[in-house]
Amino acid sequence: MERGYWIRSKPLYDSLVWRQFATGHVVVAQGDGGLAVLKLFQQMCPREPIKLLFADDKSASKKYADIIQTLVPEGLQICESEQAALAALKEQLPDCLMGTQFYVAGSEEFIWAVLEVLKEYGVQDNNVAKELCGTLARSVYCVHCKTISKDVHFSIHECDGCRRHLFVRDHFSRRLGAYMGVMVDAEEPGNIPAKEEIYP
Amino acid sequence: MSILNVKVADVEQVTDVVKHFTLVQENGEPLPHFSGGSHVVVSMNINGRIHRNPYSLMGSTANTDSYHISVRKQENSRGGSVFMHEQVKPGSRLQITYPVNLFAISKMGRRHILIAGGIGITPFMSQIADLNRLGYDYELHYAYRSPENAAFREQLEAMCGNRVHFYVESEGGRLDIPDLLSHQPLGTHVYICGPDPMVKALHINARELGWPENHVHSEEFTAPPIGDEFKVQLKQSGVELVVPGDMSMLEAMEEAGIDAPFLCRGGACGRCEQQVLECDGVIMHNDHYLSDAEKASGNSIMPCVSRAKCSRLVLDF
Repeated sequence: MERGYWIRSKPLYDSLVWRQFATGHVVVAQGDGGLAVLKLFQQMCPREPIKLLFADDKSASKKYADIIQTLVPEGLQICESEQAALAALKEQLPDCLMGTQFYVAGSEEFIWAVLEVLKEYGVQDNNVAKELCGTLARSVYCVHCKTISKDVHFSIHECDGCRRHLFVRDHFSRRLGAYMGVMVDAEEPGNIPAKEEIYP
Repeated sequence: MSILNVKVADVEQVTDVVKHFTLVQENGEPLPHFSGGSHVVVSMNINGRIHRNPYSLMGSTANTDSYHISVRKQENSRGGSVFMHEQVKPGSRLQITYPVNLFAISKMGRRHILIAGGIGITPFMSQIADLNRLGYDYELHYAYRSPENAAFREQLEAMCGNRVHFYVESEGGRLDIPDLLSHQPLGTHVYICGPDPMVKALHINARELGWPENHVHSEEFTAPPIGDEFKVQLKQSGVELVVPGDMSMLEAMEEAGIDAPFLCRGGACGRCEQQVLECDGVIMHNDHYLSDAEKASGNSIMPCVSRAKCSRLVLDF
């Protein structure tokens, strides 16, 4: 880590806080994003209508749907899967008006899948509140074969597509929702550093 | 800054107070291409003092044979608009900058609401050409004082069909901005050009309805505010000058032969930003560029519209 050095495309995530000015609120969360939802509902609840779409991560040890159900009185839709949550969001959007505030919480992959849906409706990612929860796992885009490997915890990562050993960079594509991965031994074939778990 | 030498090919009286000027390049060549919402800065030599006023290009973006600008004769003109109205005739020669666009249509938008107040209609004339060409969803809301002030109404009806709505103040027509903003679908962008209170009201209404700032676009070409005389010292240039009450700091610098940077001359673009080293009074920030925190810190000033209430201001220039 070099001090004072920053890749500008690397997204920043925050804690979810209700926005003061709004015509409505739409919260979409997955897996450990459930905790962000619980924190959000501990704040003073806004007057405007709220829609909450939540999907538990089936493989995770901690589930949040039951607790959320006891806390959120109306506008809650528990979805069977991430895909179901994205589909439910798509159904909501044609009726949403300008002034609707969007909040997303979950893994980075989920956050950017939601933002991709919102983009189709002209909602820009910098206007959406985002909280990264549970894991720092990255989606990595191989600049050589264009494959996107998901759930990457290690740098160096062996590309799911071409098996090249990729060094994971902080350069992030908002369009692809993935970090750039470049072949680490391009100049000295076979000289591959040990892989380290830096995205637990 | 690159300059285009142009000749006035035609002058048309549009309303009692608005004149439309057709400009062609002096050397007969086509003018540079531009995008909808662009403006040029016209230089005028009025009794030895150079005035520079920005005007929106209002012709079709497909036409580069000529540029079209419209000028409203201002009641409290500092000289520029009166000069354009009284001195500039067909055949007159003028110098203009290359077109600059600080008021472009957002390509990320899914729907575009254009709001014009009076002469603020001009940037939309070229934007509509773009919107029509791209097939975008848009609406134009045009408010003006009275039927005599209905500049370009027929042309707009022909260009926009049922997408244009007129509000005539003298006939009781009123544009309800909060109502207009409160029922727009996601992905809508709003653009406004008009008098300052109207622009400010839109920004406040949009914010209170939860519109993101980057969905609200505005352009205002107002004369730089007048104020008290003050002294400026340019540290690197080793120049000291006095800014008279009726002149902007940028104009005073230009008058003193300083080649200071500028683009919009309206406090919007940030190009003319100067670092303040010392100020023994307060800076009167009149720009829309610096954040409130930056304004409060007093380290920067936009000399095109902002001035100081002090006896001495030192800039790092």
